[in-house]
Amino acid sequence: MSMFEDIPVDVGVIYEGERIRRKDMYVELGGPKQEAKFELVRVKGLDEVEDGKITVVGPDLKDVQEGGNIPFGIYIEVAGKDVEEELEGVIERRIHEYCNFIEGFMHLNQRYDIWLRVSKKSFQKGLNSFNYIGKVLMKLYKSELPFIEKIQVTFLTAPEKVRQIWEQAMKIYEARDAKARGMKDEEVDTFYGCTLCQSFAPSHVCVITPQRYSNCGSISWFDGRASARVDPKGPVFAIPKGELIDPEKGEYAGVNEVVKKKSLGAVNRVWLYTSFGYPHTSCGCFEGVAFYIPEVDGFGIVHRGFKEVTVNGLPFSTLADSTAGGRQVDGFHGISIEYMRSPKFLQVDGGWNRIVWLPASVKERVHEFMPKEVVDKIATENEAKSVEELQKFLEARGHPIVERWKAKPVEVVAEEKEEVPAVPVTGLAGVPITAGGFKIILKDAKIHARKVIIRAIKTEEKKKR
Amino acid sequence: MTKKNVLMKIKELKTNVAVIKDLELSFGKVFEETWDEPVGPTPFPSVTELREWDFKLLQKYKPFYLPYCDVCCLCTFGKCDLTGDKRGACGLNMAAQQSRIVLLACCIGASTHISHARHLVEHLIEKYGSNSPLDVGGLNIEAEAPVTRLVCGIRPKTLQDLEEVLDYCEEQVTTLLAATHTGQEGSNLDFESKVLHAGMVDQVGMEIADLAQISVYGFPKADPEAALTEIGFGVADISKPTILVIGHNVPSSIGIIDYITDKGLLGKVEVVGICCTAHDLTRYSSAAKIIGPISWQLRYIRSGLADLIVVDEQCIRADTLVEAQKIKAPVIASSPQNCLGLKNRTKSPPKEIISDLLEEKVPGVLILDPDKVGEVAVETVMAVAPKRNKFKIIPEIEEIIKAGEECTQCNECMRACPNNMPIPEAMKAAAKGDLNPLAEILESCVGCARCDSACPNDFPLHSFMVKAGEKQLWKEKFKMRVGRGAIQDIEIREVGGPLVLGEIPGVVALVGCANYPHGGKEVAEIAEEFAKRRFIVVTSGCAAMSIAMVKDEEGKTLYEKYPGGFEAGGILNVGSCVSNPHIAGAAIKIASIFAKRKLRANYEEIADYILNRVGAVGVAWGAMSQKAASIASGFWRLGVPVIVGPHGSKYRRMLLGRKDKDEDWYVYDARTGDKVYGGPAPEHLFTTAETKEEAMVMIAKFCMRPNDTTKGRAIKLTHYIDLHKRLYGVMPDDIHLFVRNKADVPITMKDEILKILEEKGWKERRIPDPTLLPRLIRKRGE
Repeated sequence: MSMFEDIPVDVGVIYEGERIRRKDMYVELGGPKQEAKFELVRVKGLDEVEDGKITVVGPDLKDVQEGGNIPFGIYIEVAGKDVEEELEGVIERRIHEYCNFIEGFMHLNQRYDIWLRVSKKSFQKGLNSFNYIGKVLMKLYKSELPFIEKIQVTFLTAPEKVRQIWEQAMKIYEARDAKARGMKDEEVDTFYGCTLCQSFAPSHVCVITPQRYSNCGSISWFDGRASARVDPKGPVFAIPKGELIDPEKGEYAGVNEVVKKKSLGAVNRVWLYTSFGYPHTSCGCFEGVAFYIPEVDGFGIVHRGFKEVTVNGLPFSTLADSTAGGRQVDGFHGISIEYMRSPKFLQVDGGWNRIVWLPASVKERVHEFMPKEVVDKIATENEAKSVEELQKFLEARGHPIVERWKAKPVEVVAEEKEEVPAVPVTGLAGVPITAGGFKIILKDAKIHARKVIIRAIKTEEKKKR
Repeated sequence: MTKKNVLMKIKELKTNVAVIKDLELSFGKVFEETWDEPVGPTPFPSVTELREWDFKLLQKYKPFYLPYCDVCCLCTFGKCDLTGDKRGACGLNMAAQQSRIVLLACCIGASTHISHARHLVEHLIEKYGSNSPLDVGGLNIEAEAPVTRLVCGIRPKTLQDLEEVLDYCEEQVTTLLAATHTGQEGSNLDFESKVLHAGMVDQVGMEIADLAQISVYGFPKADPEAALTEIGFGVADISKPTILVIGHNVPSSIGIIDYITDKGLLGKVEVVGICCTAHDLTRYSSAAKIIGPISWQLRYIRSGLADLIVVDEQCIRADTLVEAQKIKAPVIASSPQNCLGLKNRTKSPPKEIISDLLEEKVPGVLILDPDKVGEVAVETVMAVAPKRNKFKIIPEIEEIIKAGEECTQCNECMRACPNNMPIPEAMKAAAKGDLNPLAEILESCVGCARCDSACPNDFPLHSFMVKAGEKQLWKEKFKMRVGRGAIQDIEIREVGGPLVLGEIPGVVALVGCANYPHGGKEVAEIAEEFAKRRFIVVTSGCAAMSIAMVKDEEGKTLYEKYPGGFEAGGILNVGSCVSNPHIAGAAIKIASIFAKRKLRANYEEIADYILNRVGAVGVAWGAMSQKAASIASGFWRLGVPVIVGPHGSKYRRMLLGRKDKDEDWYVYDARTGDKVYGGPAPEHLFTTAETKEEAMVMIAKFCMRPNDTTKGRAIKLTHYIDLHKRLYGVMPDDIHLFVRNKADVPITMKDEILKILEEKGWKERRIPDPTLLPRLIRKRGE
């Protein structure tokens, strides 16, 4: 009855978090002790793949010495009329998830970094051949990604064979990455949208383009493409991008239309590459926030993991709060880390030339993608802990923002919330008895108000620019 | 920040325009509006303000009565037999009477926490000043008091701000209690609505208590890496004078630790605790150690290890003084709630009290000043310890064997035992010199000692068990993470997405007392099962202690094996009983921080959010006290279902959904306004489980919510089905009610489930944006 009746161990999502320690392990595949190891998916022609074929090149599990560590590669070939080469990466990443569904089979990392273990217990239960692993993988692939019509799996454990394909694989990964990074929004006609977050931010629609990752950092354009294909009625869907209204700001007629529809009219326009005007909405699970610092006319960035306060004295939580919930808020912008690596990153606002502060750990992660000439001019918490320190730092380092100060000494800040001190509570003398020409006489009067609300008087918030 | 009852008087004022004489201006409530968030619809709600919401819940989850007692004997008309369709002399029927008793229990529970909070706040104001700032987590927490914000609509900033909140709570409980008088409320559903109100107010009271003590005493502030502390029978260095503290309200225990510290006696006097006072004391100081949960009182006292016992309030055995006298240990009572008939010596000079205790002029004293308790306790224990020489009343083995021989096997002890333990069998074995069965019973024993009282031969059966299990008991030393307090905003933000999307299948709160059906190990087993499955496991009170008391082969406890953060696979001890609102607070914060729902005085909307979207389940495996009853009802009103152990049926009624009635499970789709079938998720709001296996299957099932995304539902279904198959051996019979479309089907079970769906005539359904509140249906923008 069960899908995996012919597999000697259980298969299910519940094994995903399972860790196999050294003392419980029967054999280790790949991992830090092996230089050559890999997992690779390639899309082939329908006539090039023999559906259901499993090949083991080199010793199978049962032929490996207990406690040993061997070189390892998984090579999967898929075919189908709707399977595109672009989806290879997406398909490949599922190897990790599917392997971990198998009881007593642990898979860590991805690509050229894989590290697997088979537990003693599962080996004893009969999980002694890669054939079983192959069967599980094929079944899951076909059931979850029905566009895969044919699939064949090769497991490699013979050292020279592993090394041979590993060398090829390394080149393929590199080419794939280069292609993905080089892909421009202008080059595709379809973007993807995601409304998964609407369950908590009802007006939020994520627009995912080759150069703008989802805010949560977990859905690339490729992922979007695969998801939309598998489940066209699901939360991830295609957005025909339509007419390009403004190439600089990144406004597309198709995007506006879909966002309007999916947000039930709450959001009508989206400018993809700016934090002002009609910025992309922020959900609640964005990886970081770009926040405007009026005193220096630049942006700070803070990520979720930053435990201290940022340079303007506010922690991530407060900044996140100012933009979360599917709103478009000028100068507060939920973003993914990956978006910081994009050439389109806040391009309207000046991109990296406008960024003045970010946590050191984020800088470490993205510095390769920052223009070389500004890397050292952007402060981290190690250089500036207050706006004053930041100003000094920027001036000392000659950050491009300093030029802006000269050009526009005073800039009106969008949506800056001014703290207006509360009007002092009226004293006795000020009891408003201001009439002219006659006298008011109150004797034995009792006035009782059940509820009095004292509000700070606010100047009207300045209009969006 | 809100002021109440402001009064201005002007005796005489003459100006050009006006003459004012004896003018009185008064304001009921003054709200200071420095808070951007507007006041929601229900600030400081009265007993009836959330009644409509309650009725929505009660329509879905109808009260199912389990009369524990067929008569009412609350007035002198009675006793009135209420069986069948009879009504009492006052006109009340069985349903209303059961709900009325539930309300009474919840009022007792709520008032206990509220009075605890009041005592704590007054004491702290007196000692540290009314302007002492409140701080539960520094920068990491923006909503310092989510429950108070939600219910009352204010942001407390200093200790004095808490007084007004307590005024409100006290007023509500008084009103609720009044409704239980003869000839008041006549409808069972209105009683039930009031039960929910009591629970909500209770949550506020508890939150205030913990907020005050965390802030002023400097307990761990929302710290996922709060220290590990020692817990167990064997943790105390009994060669030292030993003070045992029991109860819930920590100031007197802190008085002891402070005195020890001030006098440089650290390491010379041992301070150990039982129940929540122990929890809170370890949050205060690493010098304190925990013996165990409430159920360990008798076994510890009788073992003679404590040279002096200090009791404060709640869940303390009423015979503490009697038992303490048997081992010649003086007792200090320190709470107005629990004076034990002792003379009030609060105003006597410490030296005088100490000498009276040492000379055994009195068995104990009442001291209502925590600092004085500290001095008297420490000075007395140092003098009394050498005299006592750890005098114990645990019998010798020979005595047990002799009793075993004399035992008439009348079975009275087993009948008296709440868990029906086979004590007569064990006595039979004891007669033959085999004490193992008695030792085994101790492992599951809830420590009530009803067996002692029941025995016609007056055998101290509980002591027999302690003797039999002694060797094992002494070895018991575990590690428990001390109560961390609140959940950080950042933690909420991290898990908000995965929780709502189902990658984290749910939050399981293991709370409550220690009268488990088969011992504390079961709670630990439940905790580990769900931590392994990457749920978030939160815990508090006695349950948090029991979870610590199991080790794996490597000698590690669950707190050492699993992280203490609010994250997938985390096991978090939030603290004592009054820390429970941090759990409710986490659910509330998911709605407010993560989904930006307005929190301030916006109870109904947030509860609707939690009920429909946040897969959280409470489990009180050892539900016992009236406090546990009111804590549970606070969770129900918020939309969090609660499962209790078999003893929980003695709470007289459950709140059960009917999954067979499709019409009960419709919700509004907020996007369209249509009514859409949302499925029985969660199926019940309050129910019991007979076994831990049954509870585990229910936990997994009750985490499903109408809002689940397909991925989330698939994961939740996987856990439910897997546990059901593993523990019952078959597929559940209601899968079709939970599959909305084919993407909900767990991928590893596809073939099997699709076949079932076909057999059941299943049809694909829409996934709504669920709400029970028509006002939340969204208006389409332009």
